[in-house]
Amino acid sequence: MNIEKVLAKYTFEQWLYDEAKLLDEIEFDEWFNLMHPDLRYEMPVRVNKEGMERPDYSEDMFAFQDDINTLKIRVDRLKTEFAWAEMPPSRTRRFVSNVRIVELEEAERAVVDSYLLIYRSRSTDIHHDLISGERRDEFKFFNGEWKLSKRFFLVDQTTLNTRNLAIFV
Amino acid sequence: MIKTDICLEEMTQREIIQYLDETVKPDKGVIPAYIMGDPVIYDLEHKKVFLKTWLFLGHESEIPNNGDFITRDLAGHSVIISRGDDGVIRGFYNMCTHRGMKLCRADKGNKGRFTCPYHGFTFKNNGELIGVPMQKDIYGGNLDYKSMGLHQVTIDMYKGLIFGTWNDNPEPLSEFLGDFKWYIDLAVGRTHMEVVGPPQRFVIHSQWKIGADNFVSDSYHTMVTHGSIAKLGMVPNAAYSKKGYQVSAKNGHGCNIGMPNPVFAFPEELIPEYKENLSDKQFEVLSNLKNLIGTIFPNLSFLVSHTEVKGEAISNTTIRLWRPIAVNKMEVITWFLVEKNAPEDWKRRSREAFILTFSPSGIFEQDDTEVFTDITDAASGPIPLSKNFKYNYTMGRHRVPVKDFAGPGTVYNDKFSEANSRNFYRYWLDLMKA
Ligand code: FES
Ligand SMILES: [Fe+2]
Repeated sequence: MNIEKVLAKYTFEQWLYDEAKLLDEIEFDEWFNLMHPDLRYEMPVRVNKEGMERPDYSEDMFAFQDDINTLKIRVDRLKTEFAWAEMPPSRTRRFVSNVRIVELEEAERAVVDSYLLIYRSRSTDIHHDLISGERRDEFKFFNGEWKLSKRFFLVDQTTLNTRNLAIFV
Repeated sequence: MIKTDICLEEMTQREIIQYLDETVKPDKGVIPAYIMGDPVIYDLEHKKVFLKTWLFLGHESEIPNNGDFITRDLAGHSVIISRGDDGVIRGFYNMCTHRGMKLCRADKGNKGRFTCPYHGFTFKNNGELIGVPMQKDIYGGNLDYKSMGLHQVTIDMYKGLIFGTWNDNPEPLSEFLGDFKWYIDLAVGRTHMEVVGPPQRFVIHSQWKIGADNFVSDSYHTMVTHGSIAKLGMVPNAAYSKKGYQVSAKNGHGCNIGMPNPVFAFPEELIPEYKENLSDKQFEVLSNLKNLIGTIFPNLSFLVSHTEVKGEAISNTTIRLWRPIAVNKMEVITWFLVEKNAPEDWKRRSREAFILTFSPSGIFEQDDTEVFTDITDAASGPIPLSKNFKYNYTMGRHRVPVKDFAGPGTVYNDKFSEANSRNFYRYWLDLMKA
């Protein structure tokens, strides 16, 4: 592995850790600032297929399918005093690992894979939710910074074991 | 006089029913909290409601081609819904008739035949047993194939909705739905509708009736629970959900019709299709429809919602099943439907609006699930029963039904009412007592 690759891996690991921190600490405006105006933010519905048939997710139906405008609506909503689903907010902890640089054009664009595990605890409930999956992220270099231009989150459950997706993946 | 040391577990079934009859008073608007949280009621309900009535399984458009199948749950039992090579849709218990292995484990697929993973018996998609490995040798040619077909499940359809039942003597589906079909037509039969993609599924720690009840009558909660949506300008104002009609139909079905709407909520290109599929009166209601929210007893709800997304008004249509898993747990399964012949861009925008508002990430949906889980929590345990805590369902009891509405049923010209919940629990109680 050459030094550029090592640096790039470090750069994107830090990016993803910083992002996780913002989401876990409910800094939605700062989080939203990490997004590129071209953003596509998608989470397809996972399905049980017969045997080894692939892809084992839907190409027509999504739990998230946002662009920058609809994502903005979600962020703005969480700031109104009526966003009951996250009031008080869930305690979340996002674990990001297995970061791999798939494509890299220096100071241009990058494709990065990673694993994500979200621990979610609400109120006094002793049950917790776990949301596990893989991200494929695309970044564009924009005004001197890497911005997220596409996120594809492949969740590991066909029936989600969480009361809603009022949180981001 | 109501006893305070009551324990349903120690009662006979007859005594439980007697106690229900004494404490559940739908006509008076009295619904006790224990019916949401007591496991004994949940078990009795499974027997008296879920094993008796018609339950939703899927939509015809999910299996458009011969050989297509889906696997679904019918009151806790896995069933295969398959379209045979003859185009006929049939239901089968998902169990091999040899020694009981589950025959099919995919959600969906296309197969002319099902081969059991245990010993390899093969069944045609019309249920017939057609192959047994080495049968001549090991059964001496004596195996009776005819008696070993898959167990059939009773199914029937209305406007593409496939229902099944375990009842050996069910009321015909068409009669069970009755007059309420007039409104079901508006939701899913206004023209050729198709399901897009697989249904979305998620599990919440909520009693199933809370969802069914919310959709059958509760327009009132929109002001507060969904207050954020009005704040964002996606719907007119916090009281927008009051205007319109609430309709109670027989067998516990009911819906809420949001009217009027200054704009046509559906693709205008399809007006000739709507006119062809609907009566004049139905079309008139459709033309003025702002939203339509209802429940087909017991646990299938439908929703037509018209919101403003990115400055443009768009409607989306969904059906959802509140599938009980335990007394305090259900799987919510949501199907998105769209007009088959709508312009592609309209379909795309309608799906986008659905995902943003009523999918598991939906900004309407998420606030509801928060409420459902907390009601369930408060209804659980011995106290709601022993202290006889009750809910108040008296809203709108003073109202007199209107006579001049275009559609059938008992119609009130205000959506803020609990008449439909009273109607829902009345039928629920009838079934529990039967
Ligand atoms: S159980 Fe299916 S072949 Fe034996
Ligand atoms: Fe709601």
